[in-house]
Amino acid sequence: MADQVYQVVSARTASDPAEGFSWRGAWHAPLTQAWLLLGPAMLIYAVFALYPMVDTFVLSFQTWNGLTPHRGFAGLDNYAFIFNDDPVFWLALRNTVIWTFLAVSIPPLIGFGLALAVNQQIPGRNAMRAIFYLPVILAPIAVATMWKWMYDPFFGLFNQLLTSAGLQGLIKDWLGDRQVALYSVFGAYVWQHVGFSMVLFLAGLQGVNQTLVEAARIDGANRYQVFQHVTLPAMSTSITIVLVLSLIQSLKAFDIVYGMTLGGPAQSTQMLALWAFTQSMQIHDFGRGSAVAVVLLLITLAIVVPYMLWRMKREEGQG
Amino acid sequence: MQTFKFVSAAAALASTLGLALPAHAQEVLIWMRTPQASEAKALKQIMTEFEAANPGVTVKLDTRSTDEHKSALRIAATSKGGPDLYYMWTGLGLGGDYVKSGLSAPLDEYYKKYKWADRVRPLADAYSNLYPPGKHGVPYQVNAEALYYNKTLFKKAGIETPPKTYPELMVTVGKLKAAGIPAITFGGSVNWHVMRLMDAILETQCGAKTHDALKAMTVKWTETPCATSAFNEFHKWASDYMLKPFMSFDAAQSRKLFEAGRAAMMLEGDWLAGQLRSETKEAENFGVFAFPTGTGRLYGFGVNLYLNPYSKNKDLSAKFLDYFISDKVQQEHLGAFGALGVNKNVVHKNLDALDATWVEMFPKYNASFVNGDQGFPLDVTTEYFRVINSVAGDTMPPAQAVATMQTFIDKRRQ
Amino acid sequence: MTTMFSTAFRPLGSDRIDPFLVVLWIALIAIALIWVAPIIFIVFTSLKTNADVMGTGAFTPPPELFTQNYPDAWQRGNFATRFANSVIITLVKVPVGLMLSAMAAYALARITLKGKKLLLLLVLFGTMIPFQVMLAPLFTLVNSMGLLNTRLGLFLPYIAFGVPYQVFVLHGFFKEVPHELSEAALMDGASHFTIFRRIFLPISLPILAALLILDFVSTWNEFAMALVLLLDSKMWTLPLSLMVFQGEFGSEYGPLNAAIVTTVLPAVIVYLIFQRYFVGGLTSGAVKG
Repeated sequence: MADQVYQVVSARTASDPAEGFSWRGAWHAPLTQAWLLLGPAMLIYAVFALYPMVDTFVLSFQTWNGLTPHRGFAGLDNYAFIFNDDPVFWLALRNTVIWTFLAVSIPPLIGFGLALAVNQQIPGRNAMRAIFYLPVILAPIAVATMWKWMYDPFFGLFNQLLTSAGLQGLIKDWLGDRQVALYSVFGAYVWQHVGFSMVLFLAGLQGVNQTLVEAARIDGANRYQVFQHVTLPAMSTSITIVLVLSLIQSLKAFDIVYGMTLGGPAQSTQMLALWAFTQSMQIHDFGRGSAVAVVLLLITLAIVVPYMLWRMKREEGQG
Repeated sequence: MQTFKFVSAAAALASTLGLALPAHAQEVLIWMRTPQASEAKALKQIMTEFEAANPGVTVKLDTRSTDEHKSALRIAATSKGGPDLYYMWTGLGLGGDYVKSGLSAPLDEYYKKYKWADRVRPLADAYSNLYPPGKHGVPYQVNAEALYYNKTLFKKAGIETPPKTYPELMVTVGKLKAAGIPAITFGGSVNWHVMRLMDAILETQCGAKTHDALKAMTVKWTETPCATSAFNEFHKWASDYMLKPFMSFDAAQSRKLFEAGRAAMMLEGDWLAGQLRSETKEAENFGVFAFPTGTGRLYGFGVNLYLNPYSKNKDLSAKFLDYFISDKVQQEHLGAFGALGVNKNVVHKNLDALDATWVEMFPKYNASFVNGDQGFPLDVTTEYFRVINSVAGDTMPPAQAVATMQTFIDKRRQ
Repeated sequence: MTTMFSTAFRPLGSDRIDPFLVVLWIALIAIALIWVAPIIFIVFTSLKTNADVMGTGAFTPPPELFTQNYPDAWQRGNFATRFANSVIITLVKVPVGLMLSAMAAYALARITLKGKKLLLLLVLFGTMIPFQVMLAPLFTLVNSMGLLNTRLGLFLPYIAFGVPYQVFVLHGFFKEVPHELSEAALMDGASHFTIFRRIFLPISLPILAALLILDFVSTWNEFAMALVLLLDSKMWTLPLSLMVFQGEFGSEYGPLNAAIVTTVLPAVIVYLIFQRYFVGGLTSGAVKG
């Protein structure tokens, strides 16, 4: 079947005049083919992903309420406002930093431990992997709804469990107390994201040289020494990748905060992505919202660009 | 296969463009938020009757949830399209935003032509005079919020009659607290619910004129001592008299707790009467009284039908408005748009105790004070919410609240 | 089972049971129980009457199976329409998006092209920029095209934000395909279209399947873009309606939990059936290369 097609195609090519322009010749030029294959995806990507990003920068220097047909020029006003006068921006930035720090440390750490554990010869390890990974595939908004209900102060899971354990003293208004709300939301995030790190680490562990592990054990190295001198060095790439991906994901945290607290109480769980959305889409100040978005975008770029350079260097090194 | 998908995608695109075309010559298109069942039925009948009386005319109603409705209007505005008439809350922050952006056609001419002033209730009429020089919108409904109370719990705390003044109210909540009963319940996760208490206290502490000036941002919050005392008072309520915790659940959950007798009072709108009737077995166990602000103004808000300046059928739309607020229609559908109609010539009959209290309460007031989130522009509302919640959550001293409000207001883009 | 236990608890190269592994195993079971607890709690609640929700313990199985919550939630949340919306969007977006990505990945991997490196960089960049940052301009753009509240208006941004990761993964895969495989065909004068379709698509089926499944789940779960691009409730997808359901019926715990289960069930079923593809799809992009 395949051969037949090749023959048909080659017969056509053969009949094309070698000189001068011909539609058929152009169709067969590798360049045309390349652009026909690339075109649709790149066009959509450019229009619906790259352009809005550029527009975010443009909007951040403008005033627009979404109602009037024309946008006004604002210069640096929007930035001046969010840096100097916006009572929520710094709080949102602070929360984003705390959140990112937690998201980069806790889920990967648990995920790493779980990956090491389920990589051992123990019964039911496939079922356990499936269980730990399951939350990853749930819609974040559903996870938010679930956990909001578990945190319900009157009938929710946590306060029920604490009551039955006789620990009424620990009962909290999990999502209503500004001291704990951010961490309560983060609890749901950990539950959802540990499986993601675990799977990536598991894949990394497959690359650990088992002969080396065995040799080390025969040489009398204990479990910890094997881990320290064989496993850990072999995992360094995986660790970097998991950390960077966790970091990028944590900057995107939106659905789960939207679903659980909408940034409340009193904006105490507000974060940059949600604050940008709130300013633009709810207060209808697109300029300020975009200025907030640009800050988040620049933070992301500051992490992404070095990472991309590192990755490309590695790829080139591998040939 | 792929070709097919792109063709169908193009077809989908074409059909949406088709939908975006302006209304036909003899059509009145109305946009509103999703009506309740009885309201929808009434609207349908009114529209059908109007169509019958005006051959060749169709009245079309598109409904959306509250937030969608607001967004849809904003989007329509950018393209100078949209409906002929639209439902919108009055007040600077909502209707005012549309009027200011030129999305409402002044109706003075039609008010004169149809003599609407002769039948619109003064309380409702006030809302169309909010944006001088022109008159904007025709009242669709008037709503008010007051204190509902649980009679059993009041009795248990030894309270004989509902309080008539603010000091009496404080005695009442004191008695409830002494009896171990949470005095009032709010759902803190929706910011506007707790805000109602702050609004009512501001009105009480500052009086009508100063309160309005504060909300209009024409006087400084920092230079108005009653604003500070209002925040102090509000903080006392939050720490001593509210059912706790309250910050993490919403208004509906708070209503369930009120219905279950977990708190003695709730600051709710006239629509709660109907919910109490359908959701509890003994609606007679609940009573309602106005928050005793002592200013002679009722706490509430209005909803108007505004005329889109881009409408191609202004006269016809006005004719429909005239029919809608006619004595006949308003009498026939009394109660469908709230306990009180917008027409002052209607007669109320066969009301249950709660509704009767409302109907009695409304005419005593010729003015109202509006919910904070309708009075303020959106950015200030957001900040007002944050300040209120911070004070309620003990993370901002009441003394600092006014300074925070004023700082934000001063830094606003004019 | 016997083979499983004959190696269980024994470190590689040893046939003695390692007590450390037994302790580890017990600890893991405990953690796994904690991990499924929320799901059990949600499923149990979804099968209880409101009275039982308040009257019985969290992990007490429903005294009687109250399945009425499901039709109740289905009807009140208008899930029939919204389920259909989610299905249509997912079923159209996922295969079309993946096909476009595969085409682009092939061109980037196998056709000599100036500026290829830059394009690749642009794509890699796209895998990391958060679209949550661009919701407002995206809304403005789609609105200016008159595509708000349309499937096409959601479908195009979905593709745009799905393309980078897929192109990136597939590019890595296509690059590794031995040149002999395609060169003979090129010599014969076959076009790149033909080679792509006849040679590359068939051999990359496993990785395409993995990406397909992964994309199915993320499209099914997407919330933020749908939130700003679909204002008309007739067009809503399931995650959006769950959010609205929570707002309107948040205090009716039985139906609320039934709505949660309904929303996540399709993704869970797909996951349980195609489990191994998930890992493949995730790791091929991240760890390789």
